[in-house]
Amino acid sequence: MPRQIPWWVGGIAMSLLFYFSFSTFGANRPIGASTGMAYLATVLFGLDANSYAYTAEIEQSGAWEGVMLIGLFFGGLFMSIFVTKSFHLSLIPTLWKERKNRSVKSRMIWSFIAGFLLVFGARLAGGCNAGHILSGGSQLALSGIIFAVFALGTGVITGRFFYKKKVCKNDR
Amino acid sequence: MTDRIVHMFDTVAKQGHGSVWTVLFIGFVFGAVILYSRLDKFEKMAGFMIFEDTLVPRMAMTTVALSSLGFYILVQTGYASYSVKPVLLAGLITGAILFGIGLVILGKCPSAFFVSVSEGRIDALVGVLGGMVGGAVFTLFYPQIKNLMGPDLGKVQIFHYFEYHALLVVLIFSTILLITAYLLPTIEYKDPADFNKN
Repeated sequence: MPRQIPWWVGGIAMSLLFYFSFSTFGANRPIGASTGMAYLATVLFGLDANSYAYTAEIEQSGAWEGVMLIGLFFGGLFMSIFVTKSFHLSLIPTLWKERKNRSVKSRMIWSFIAGFLLVFGARLAGGCNAGHILSGGSQLALSGIIFAVFALGTGVITGRFFYKKKVCKNDR
Repeated sequence: MTDRIVHMFDTVAKQGHGSVWTVLFIGFVFGAVILYSRLDKFEKMAGFMIFEDTLVPRMAMTTVALSSLGFYILVQTGYASYSVKPVLLAGLITGAILFGIGLVILGKCPSAFFVSVSEGRIDALVGVLGGMVGGAVFTLFYPQIKNLMGPDLGKVQIFHYFEYHALLVVLIFSTILLITAYLLPTIEYKDPADFNKN
């Protein structure tokens, strides 16, 4: 088995899955992930629906995405162990070492902050890239297109300041 | 916590969006596709935003192009219905900006960081923990935050502006994305860690 599929195979496979999830043959709803993250957070920290308005508001879609995320974890685990055989414990990504630093502490602190911003931002925006860009874009939703422009624009600008430029490859 | 988890599965079983097994299956395949195309990697997601890799935009454009056409056909034939998120303008823009910063620093999105954890990446696990705290803080301050999220511009789809030409709009949108995905150069960050360890 190859260790990676090309982008177009990935794109086709992903859209087939989206058809299934979106249609009445599957779940009759688009895929999203960040509501599930917020829902799992309320489970972990014991923020129940009786006391917290937001938990009550995401009770239905959050539970769906929470279960979906559990499936997602095992899907990744299955592939990384049996197919790509890429499972191994690692602390810092290679590109981070190249562009930022080799400090484990720095990577962990930034990971925590970034994870916080991702989920907090996604909840504020009402969705993440799965809900807004992939599912939203596929429905030609205005919200998805606005989200894509601002999230990716900010990402590119932040990336320029946050990571060091590489010699010879910085002018493109 | 155990009863909340039981409650979660129970809610899914009752809500009519597929059985628990269907939802787990959707997640499983979603995770498998993300991992197999290596979308979960820092080098792919952060690399895309610092122009070191073009896998993410090419794959995302292909997915959206094919899905927009497929979704349109499914809705027209009665096998699906649109479920569009509203535009809560201030929340949407502020949230997208915070999300963009988080995305380029962590190098994964809220679905990919779970997949990354399943590959043994400790930094992704720390990202998930940060995300959990982010979700909890949002829940705690939701009553205050809610007032700042508007104005609500509604659940707008682009082709609503072109009432009689919806299919044409979808076709143009999808074609532009497919052509762009095809024309984008292949820039691939070859991670030495992928080749040494195995």
